[in-house]
Amino acid sequence: MKARTLHIIALLSILFTGCGEETTNIDVVHDEGKPVMALDYRDFDQAASALVQSLLGSGSLKKKDGGRYVVATGRIVNDTMQRIDTDQLMAKIEEELLNSGQAVMSSAVGSGTDKLIHETRELRDSEEFDQSTVAARGTLIAPELSISGKIFQRNIRYDKKRQQVEYYFQLKLSDAKTGLRFWQKEIIVGKRGSNKSVAW
Amino acid sequence: MKRLILFYISVVFLAIGCGEERESRIKVREGIGSDTLVDNIVTRPVAKAFSALIGEGIVVDEAVLRRNDAGFLELHVNGHNKSYNTKRFRYRVEWLDASGLVIETKTSVWLRASAMGKSPFSFKVVAPRTEAVDFRMDTRKWE
Repeated sequence: MKARTLHIIALLSILFTGCGEETTNIDVVHDEGKPVMALDYRDFDQAASALVQSLLGSGSLKKKDGGRYVVATGRIVNDTMQRIDTDQLMAKIEEELLNSGQAVMSSAVGSGTDKLIHETRELRDSEEFDQSTVAARGTLIAPELSISGKIFQRNIRYDKKRQQVEYYFQLKLSDAKTGLRFWQKEIIVGKRGSNKSVAW
Repeated sequence: MKRLILFYISVVFLAIGCGEERESRIKVREGIGSDTLVDNIVTRPVAKAFSALIGEGIVVDEAVLRRNDAGFLELHVNGHNKSYNTKRFRYRVEWLDASGLVIETKTSVWLRASAMGKSPFSFKVVAPRTEAVDFRMDTRKWE
């Protein structure tokens, strides 16, 4: 009897193996998956697309002499309950600004700083390096414009069973010399779902 | 019963054109504006049922392309929602260069739009490259 029970359990275990949810790759271009309460890549795609279109369409990046603006990325504050790397938003925006032909991004200052740019300048007095290959003083270009922003979240109780989560993506473009702001835009992504869903 | 339905449908069709002249740019929705011979508590359910039966949805009336001052192509899409319900949908625009090839961009993603029942809608899309000369657009349901 005992052996029979064990056999049945073993058989059921084998049968159920493989009946679980299988892993699938997401079609990130035409994803038809259900929305989630937290921010997912589709929300960042949508926000970045709308922000880039607004910025380019505003004409704020069109230089009178036809050249390109030097733009630095400032602080992008994550004021949501989620652990977000704000590069998830800014990498897309920076890529599009670069490809637009109207701006070059600075890696010398701001949140997109490349440490190596400054480290290579520390080699100036090193005898190990050919000094003609080391960057000279006064060669870095200061940014003319800076982009900064904020992502924040508001959780609201919608009714007994549902909650409403609002995500705000705010971005602004300012002149580094004068401090004047030339463009700003806010995109709202709103979600309504079960109270049991966790939005962080 | 059949006669009654036919009567309602006849009333709907006959009454078209009998409404008073109104400001076409302002939409006064049911429950706010006065009922008319065409749109009233009796005809409305019939019209809504008929609209749902024939599967009315959005119609794109025009797609206007213009180059803005910054040199980027802008697509202005104007249309209207023929149904009585709000239609939520997604659209995705791909930009084409002079050779007809798709320009790779992070802005070509499914964006959301909606149009209220029996109302016009419009949205604008900006090409992120000055090389764009044409576009193609696709739509799908907003799930």
